[in-house]
Amino acid sequence: MIGWVAVFSYAMVTALATGLGALPFVFAERVSDRFVAYANAIAAGLMLGASFGLVSEGTVHGRMETLGGAFVGVVFILLTQRLLDRYDEEAIVFGAARGEGARRMFLMVVVMTVHSFSEGVAVGVSFGGGMTLATAITAAIAVHNIPEGVAITAVLRPRGVSLPKCAWWSVVSSLPQPLMAVPAFLFVEAFRPALPWGLGFAAGAMIFMVLVELLPEAFEEGRRAQVATLTTTTIVGMVLFQRYL
Amino acid sequence: MSQLDPVLTVLVYSSLSAAAASLGVLPHVVMGRVALPVLGWGNALASGLMLGVAYTLLYAGLDQATLQGALAALAGVAFVRLAHFGTGTHDVDLNRLEDTGPAYGYQVLLVNTLHAAYEGVAIGAAMLLSLPFGISMAVALAIHNIPEAMVLTAILRGRGVRMDHILALSVAINLNQVLLAVVTFAVVAALPALLPWAIGFAVGALIYLVLVELLPESYRQAGPTSIALVTLVAMGIVVALNGGTP
Repeated sequence: MIGWVAVFSYAMVTALATGLGALPFVFAERVSDRFVAYANAIAAGLMLGASFGLVSEGTVHGRMETLGGAFVGVVFILLTQRLLDRYDEEAIVFGAARGEGARRMFLMVVVMTVHSFSEGVAVGVSFGGGMTLATAITAAIAVHNIPEGVAITAVLRPRGVSLPKCAWWSVVSSLPQPLMAVPAFLFVEAFRPALPWGLGFAAGAMIFMVLVELLPEAFEEGRRAQVATLTTTTIVGMVLFQRYL
Repeated sequence: MSQLDPVLTVLVYSSLSAAAASLGVLPHVVMGRVALPVLGWGNALASGLMLGVAYTLLYAGLDQATLQGALAALAGVAFVRLAHFGTGTHDVDLNRLEDTGPAYGYQVLLVNTLHAAYEGVAIGAAMLLSLPFGISMAVALAIHNIPEAMVLTAILRGRGVRMDHILALSVAINLNQVLLAVVTFAVVAALPALLPWAIGFAVGALIYLVLVELLPESYRQAGPTSIALVTLVAMGIVVALNGGTP
């Protein structure tokens, strides 16, 4: 019998794995606006692919609950945006960046962090089904977290955030996973009905972030055929990735 | 529906989807001049419905040989790119209301015609998963065709084309949708091994089209927040009505 300490440790390992997502960006520092656009397009593809997976899993537990959760996720992002708009643009600082870029980076970290809460619930509930598959589940979720780190780094790194900081923010965005996994594991029956809401929330928040922040900027600075190609092929890759790993 | 021959069902519903494009002139008749943000929301509505169809088709067909499906999706992207670059229309913005140059006229019609063809493949592939599922996808694409035709109407009006000619043109450019739906259905029904390829091709093409044709201009017409909201609600409606169960 493995207790909550083990669940916490396993979920912590998956959170740390998110930091590995910073690695593909070792050489990308302070690059052109066009590179920022294409990095956005890749992040958009990763997040859309991940959201498709979340929705398909959520609808198994309850279709309308998933959509209700998505609605709450959109409202959450809208409110966060309004809150940020209250501050003077130049007052928002993220790393070396200020203003519009800093605002977008901050929002990205917020979106990826809140979406981890529901993933943490999913982890806890799946451990609640029995610990025999603990190592397999942990490995699977750890691997799934890496693209999320890639998405965060794709938005942060081209705007001048250092690589260790990108890895740090990636890990921070996944910290809700161990925090939520433990209560979800201890009270599986209470948390199970909340799962489709949580998965829908995560998907709604991420898709909205893609549509409202990442794609408009990508189309602003990048050529649309290349943006569309990068995003679509990344979605295909992400769906495959979720299917086989 | 059950009495109808399957091929006939495909023919009827893909024709319905093409014919729905004629309703795109309605907002112009009712409102006189359609405001720019409305055109943007029309693009967003079309985007959301198309993404919803792509998502639903993807997860309905995912168990059918995933790897072939993924390769086919990449082939779909490559094919649309080739068709656009090959005809010099890769940068054509489908919303240039002021451009009355002769080249732009044929380019807009060409891009819209190509666009309809991939929808036909999607309808044909969806019908093969199951007829009721295919019908729901055809209905979603029929509704999608209406705001799309509304945008086309705005451009053709700006070029001085008569309203009755616009009505006929909107339907005409969607006719290859009927052809490709029936051909896809007939060919894949005879060669079932092609099914994951047809599904993957349609999914890749549809997502690419949304990103390359529908979304980029919409942001300038109506602003990101309303565009994102309309797109998401339209996606949600398709998922709510289907949930990926063929």
